[in-house]
Amino acid sequence: MAILEIKNVSKFFGGLAANADVSFEVAQGSIMGLIGPNGAGKTTLFNCITGYYEPSRGEVIFKGNRMNGLQPDRVCKLGMARTWQKVRPLAKMSVLDNVMVGALCRTNSLKAAREIAMEQLQVVRMDGKAAFLAGGLPIGERKKLEMARVLATKPELLLLDEVMGGLNQSESEEIVLLILDIKSRGITQMVIEHDMKTIMRISDRIVVLTSGEKLTEGTPQEVVSNQAVIDAYLGESHS
Amino acid sequence: MIVFFQSLLSGVLIGGVYALIGIGLTIIFGVMRIINFAHGDIMMIGMYLTYNLFAMAGIDPFLSIAITIPIMFVFGALLQKLFINRVLNALPQNQILLTIGLGLIMSNTMMLIYTSDYKILSTSYSSSSVKLFGISISEPLAISFVITAAITALLYWFFLKTDTGQAIRATAQDREAAQLMGINVKRMSIIAFGLGAALAGTAGALISPTYYIFPQIGSIFTLKAFVITVLGGMGSILGATLGGVIIGVAESMGAVYISSGWKDVVVFVLFLLVLLFKPAGLLGKSRM
Amino acid sequence: MKDTSAKNVHGKAGFKSAEPIVTLLVLAGLALFPTLVSSPYSLHLMILLFLSIIMGQSWNIVGGYAGQYSVGHAAYFGAGAYTTMLLMQQWKIAPWYGVWAGMAVAVVVALVVGSICFRLRGPYFVLASIAVAEILRLSTMNLKDLTNGAEGILATEIPPLTIAGKVITDFSTKVPFYYIGLGLVVLTIVVTFLVQHSKLGYYFQAIREDQDAAHSLGINLTFHKNIALIVSALLTSLAGSFYAIYIGFIDPPTVLGLDISVQIVLICIIGGIGTIYGPVVGSLVLVPLSEALRSNIIAEAIFATGAVSPTSGVGVFLKENLAHAHALIYGVLVVVVILFMPDGVLGFVRKLTTKRKGERS
Repeated sequence: MAILEIKNVSKFFGGLAANADVSFEVAQGSIMGLIGPNGAGKTTLFNCITGYYEPSRGEVIFKGNRMNGLQPDRVCKLGMARTWQKVRPLAKMSVLDNVMVGALCRTNSLKAAREIAMEQLQVVRMDGKAAFLAGGLPIGERKKLEMARVLATKPELLLLDEVMGGLNQSESEEIVLLILDIKSRGITQMVIEHDMKTIMRISDRIVVLTSGEKLTEGTPQEVVSNQAVIDAYLGESHS
Repeated sequence: MIVFFQSLLSGVLIGGVYALIGIGLTIIFGVMRIINFAHGDIMMIGMYLTYNLFAMAGIDPFLSIAITIPIMFVFGALLQKLFINRVLNALPQNQILLTIGLGLIMSNTMMLIYTSDYKILSTSYSSSSVKLFGISISEPLAISFVITAAITALLYWFFLKTDTGQAIRATAQDREAAQLMGINVKRMSIIAFGLGAALAGTAGALISPTYYIFPQIGSIFTLKAFVITVLGGMGSILGATLGGVIIGVAESMGAVYISSGWKDVVVFVLFLLVLLFKPAGLLGKSRM
Repeated sequence: MKDTSAKNVHGKAGFKSAEPIVTLLVLAGLALFPTLVSSPYSLHLMILLFLSIIMGQSWNIVGGYAGQYSVGHAAYFGAGAYTTMLLMQQWKIAPWYGVWAGMAVAVVVALVVGSICFRLRGPYFVLASIAVAEILRLSTMNLKDLTNGAEGILATEIPPLTIAGKVITDFSTKVPFYYIGLGLVVLTIVVTFLVQHSKLGYYFQAIREDQDAAHSLGINLTFHKNIALIVSALLTSLAGSFYAIYIGFIDPPTVLGLDISVQIVLICIIGGIGTIYGPVVGSLVLVPLSEALRSNIIAEAIFATGAVSPTSGVGVFLKENLAHAHALIYGVLVVVVILFMPDGVLGFVRKLTTKRKGERS
């Protein structure tokens, strides 16, 4: 069953189409990879799905509800959460407080929020740093903090925007395991990632975007063997 | 009908001076993304400078701008180098507070030196006027408008034709790209602040024969300068010119058709409306 | 950001446990102060200090915690001052009813400001908040029939405070004002404490740190900004009412002017924003300094050093004018604070002490 349906979504800025007539479905519990060269409109699509932009045309359907025009906070409450390409820690708050802000989406009690937050920090193995200021963390831990923070909002669908960007090999591996762990808990994920090996490994299906349009869609095997993809994207990134 | 044209004309005349203040603020914002809350106070310093040159050396206020402009330019450049330069990457609210603080220092220092008494710079022509098609025009206002027009023309020439002018415009458009293109952004910032201060100081000199001079006059003009630049679109020189004239006319019309007490309210309401419905200014594309 | 290199923020457990005791001791001392010190000037200074703390603490909620730098708080201060004063002078309504009306007016103003200004961010929000306060000041100047315009309002007589027919105080000395001020300080600090230790506090700070991130975590930005502003406006209005009744005279520039708005912000900036101690520290720095200038203590000190003779031309000049330039100290302080201690005096001291500790270990 599809948890998310993107139906003919277009987004125009002035006369330019950042997304043009994109359609696909994300199956419940799966990992959907979203790839494409720089400027292909991946982040714009995330913004359209999560309420930061209203699609100029088309529909975003989440759990059967039309999401167009809903504000990001409503989107989050409905069970869809996102991370940011450029991490956005709440710098002058502690790591625990950061995650608690996420947890407060589901509870009004600080005590309950603290418990949820500590749980999520354990999931990303950062419970030892709960009292540190978020602004002072190195990039790898900031990424993990952001994961813990969105997990604390108890999402059913998680949109991850380049969570491995700027990380070294072992840090990336840690995130990969985390993503697979999240999947095992039944949370659906949509992942934008540049590293092809990683995306092939974790995704159940992959959507390829170029110049705002959907080029193709399929299993990782189908996508790597698609000549159009090789021309438009893989050729470029492998050169 | 005469009253209408009368107020329209005096609005345009004073609007020219407002435009100078607005252009200064907009250049500073364009190049450094800093809103200069000390702008009116810099103008106030220009007024006192003009007043002193007149009272001590007998130099006519309109001639004294030849001295005021370079002094104010150096003053602005120093402000940039010593203070503003250090907060270019700070939070916007800290930048605003720094300039508020600098403004407070300026106005209170002037108050220490000159007390808060109103000073009047009265020239032989301060209250004389000329008649044109039955409309009377205040003579000092008319002269100041001519000078304003000349300076504005010179400014446009500077920005369009000279290398430095173009470099400043490039910096205002995209600071990082300008840096990549080899423009000395630091130097442009200093020049921009100097230029902004010089323009504010000139405006101060030009209005000194028609306004009371006192240390706290700055804040009113700072607010007006914001209104002008937001109206024209932050960072747009053409916009600020237009904004200045619009505010001049709105004030003068407001004074005639509503009451002089309410004219500033008209300006601020206009300001809020623009912020709400056309935040990029009347001309501009969004910069927000 | 990087220089704070992930320091432990909950590391002062020993200090925390001593906090309630210290607070109680300070409160007891403050409560006893008027019985020990009877000089009206000392009481006056304390009342000014209280007023400053109330104003700073109120702004802190929307500016310090929620990060919305309103430079138009004179609007709420003036709303409280004018409403209370007008009700008392024109309609003989006692101030302890008037303050409620003042708070109601402040909320209305806050709702208007919120609906206009919170659509804007950063410098545009600052400018809009100034514009609204200026419109209020100019309107008060112009609505002469209602507000007496630029001439202001003088309190001719404050009705005595009675409870069940029994006169509690007739406000003939500064003592009742002292206790009201102290009470308001406690109130604003308690409110701030409650906000800080609730969901609201977390949400406000998240909005301050990153609006887009906060939005994505399920925080309704407009709603929470408005709540912060309303709480802040209510408390600021109380400060305005208190000021009006205590000083006994208000006019548009003194209670609705841009100066008041700026002063309110500076109290927090100088102390350090987003903490309960910030406004207290800021007030402890600002009030004595500006009073010292106002009462010519600074001029006397300059004469005492022998650098300038009080009878010389410069001396006479300083004596006459330094008092008027007390706002100079605000300017100098804010420039110094922004350039050298962007986290306020409190943050600066904290940084110094943590550095020391680092050196020792």
